[in-house]
Amino acid sequence: MRILVVEDDLDLNRQLCQALEEAGYVVDKAFDGEEGHFLGDTEPYDAVVLDIGLPQMDGLSVLERWRRSNRNMPVLILTARDRWSDKVAGIDAGADDYVAKPFHMEEVLARVRALVRRAAGLASNEIVIGDVVLDVRAGKVTLAGQAVKLTSHEFRLLSYLMHHKGRIVSRTELVEHLYDQDFDRDSNTIEVFIGRLRKKFGGNLIETVRGLGYRVQEENA
Amino acid sequence: MKQCEVLDTASKKKMPDTKKIAKSWRLWGEGRLPLSWRLILVAAIWSMVTLFVAGWILVALFRGASLQALDDQLNVHMTAIIQSMARDLPGPPRRPSNLGEARFELPVSGWYWTIRDGQQNQSVVFDSLSLFGDQLNLPQLPKNGKHPKFIVGPGGQELRLVMRRIEFSGGKSYVIAVAGSTKEVTERTAGFARVAGLTLMALGFGLIGAIILQVRYGLLPVNRLAQSLSNVRRGEADNIDEDMPKELKPLAVELNALIKSNHEIVERARTQVGNLAHGLKTPLSVITNEANVRDDPLARKVMEQTDMMRNQINHYLEQARMAAQRRVIGVSCEVEPVVRRLANAMEKIHRDKDLDIVVKIDSGLTFRGEQHDLEEMVGNLLDNACKWCDGNVTIEGKSTEGEEGGRELLLLEILDDGPGLSAEQKEKSLKRGRRLDESVPGSGLGLSIVVDIAEVYGGKFSLADSPMGGLGAILELPSISAAAK
Repeated sequence: MRILVVEDDLDLNRQLCQALEEAGYVVDKAFDGEEGHFLGDTEPYDAVVLDIGLPQMDGLSVLERWRRSNRNMPVLILTARDRWSDKVAGIDAGADDYVAKPFHMEEVLARVRALVRRAAGLASNEIVIGDVVLDVRAGKVTLAGQAVKLTSHEFRLLSYLMHHKGRIVSRTELVEHLYDQDFDRDSNTIEVFIGRLRKKFGGNLIETVRGLGYRVQEENA
Repeated sequence: MKQCEVLDTASKKKMPDTKKIAKSWRLWGEGRLPLSWRLILVAAIWSMVTLFVAGWILVALFRGASLQALDDQLNVHMTAIIQSMARDLPGPPRRPSNLGEARFELPVSGWYWTIRDGQQNQSVVFDSLSLFGDQLNLPQLPKNGKHPKFIVGPGGQELRLVMRRIEFSGGKSYVIAVAGSTKEVTERTAGFARVAGLTLMALGFGLIGAIILQVRYGLLPVNRLAQSLSNVRRGEADNIDEDMPKELKPLAVELNALIKSNHEIVERARTQVGNLAHGLKTPLSVITNEANVRDDPLARKVMEQTDMMRNQINHYLEQARMAAQRRVIGVSCEVEPVVRRLANAMEKIHRDKDLDIVVKIDSGLTFRGEQHDLEEMVGNLLDNACKWCDGNVTIEGKSTEGEEGGRELLLLEILDDGPGLSAEQKEKSLKRGRRLDESVPGSGLGLSIVVDIAEVYGGKFSLADSPMGGLGAILELPSISAAAK
């Protein structure tokens, strides 16, 4: 899952990126409205954490411009102006949720998790496919009740595929959503990690659709 | 009195006249007599004094003219007496007769003449029969002929007197005096004074009536201005009607400028509060998160203190916003669009709950206050209802009358089908910073902010049981009646 953080305060930006990365997300960051708008407009993100008070272009304008050009990724706004009029203005501009400053990082993580989950059309924090259970909140995967140890890359890949279960996910899409913008897109790491996941969960969980990509079968659930 | 009524139409009641007058006297004593009464009083006093002086002068002129006519008559008789005396000249003077005035013949008629010796000790030579043996008490006739005009005659009558000294050839001189009663003059003057007094009094009352009408008519635009200002204060108008007579137009324009500047001050204060909030909250987030990732006594102390700082900042920002609020005048907003907008936002925020939010607001229902504040109150209550409900939330809004029957209020009820609260919990939840369940996110300031804002507007907030099974939050706020719009 790839998240964009747009926050002008250097410390807060660093903290948000760090916490999101620790939670298993790939994070891109921007420090002003224009940079944030550009990234959100050109890169595919699974969610955006957007501060309202930004230099160069304020958060609400960034959000409105994204929505006008049909960029529909879920957006969580951070706002110091926490009156309901401000929150509603944010929601009206196209935000999906808000967190008022000052906040605890857990709250931001919970909201981001919920946004990503909802965007994938899932109702619960647990995604179950056969014996495999992904606990989004805890960041853990179990197979037949036993915890499976995964590296962060393996977890991200499995999590993305399970969030989009039943759908063919292309290699390009995986690269775009699992790596930040500086990643070398020609490398064959995706294939390597798919292979490792098949070893850990058996060959049936992830199906290769020739010429198109990979799919986690929904009917296995 | 009229001014008072305009300024306080809510307490307008029928007051007996005596009470009105007593109130006016009291106001006068306190130096607060209404402008209209001051104008009427001064004009009435001035008219009365003028009319009184005019009446007095008229009566004096009438009496003067009557006395002059009497003098002329006496002088005619004087000439007749002299002619009659001189008929046998150069022989001795004769007793005058046939003077053509019967009253000289009637005893004590008030009309007398007398001829005295001018050289000796003014002994009586002849006098009229009307004296009936009595004598007129004549003053000395000075050389210049100016003598007192009034004497007291027989029976204490006041008499008008004409005297002349004449000298016949041979050096014989006489003092001739003719006197007539002033009784008729006095009676006619009194009659005239009565008629003139009544006429002038009628004129006076007419004038006062005209003055009252003039003042009332003249002050109508002032009343209109007061009404216009009152409408702005009640939030029924944005600014004052500037279509005023030219004397009041500058005042209306200045008042509008004042209202505008008031709005600007509030807006500036609000912007600065927002900037302050942003400025403080971002570093506070950084400190909190920095401390949160460590587990040592310092980090725990920092967490504890930043929590307190966060509560303090929220509390004082809200207070600052509220203080700015009190200066806002003349604003209002329609309730339904605000509630619908919030309901849409809630459906998005609480999307996981698959909410069914029903909005039943009477159309045209208008809150007399800032839209921000209505949003803040309804937002907090609706957010709470959405957090706790079992899927169903209803917002009902209608217009109602205040307890004293005076002000028009709007009643907003936010009802949910959640678990509800016990009586004790309801009481506790209204206290600042109180959260009944720490597991549901929220700063815990929500309800007390609602109470504070409602109080600023003179409204009320209470919690009750909802007919849907959960909690009912009830807001009573000032509104603008449909008729006033």
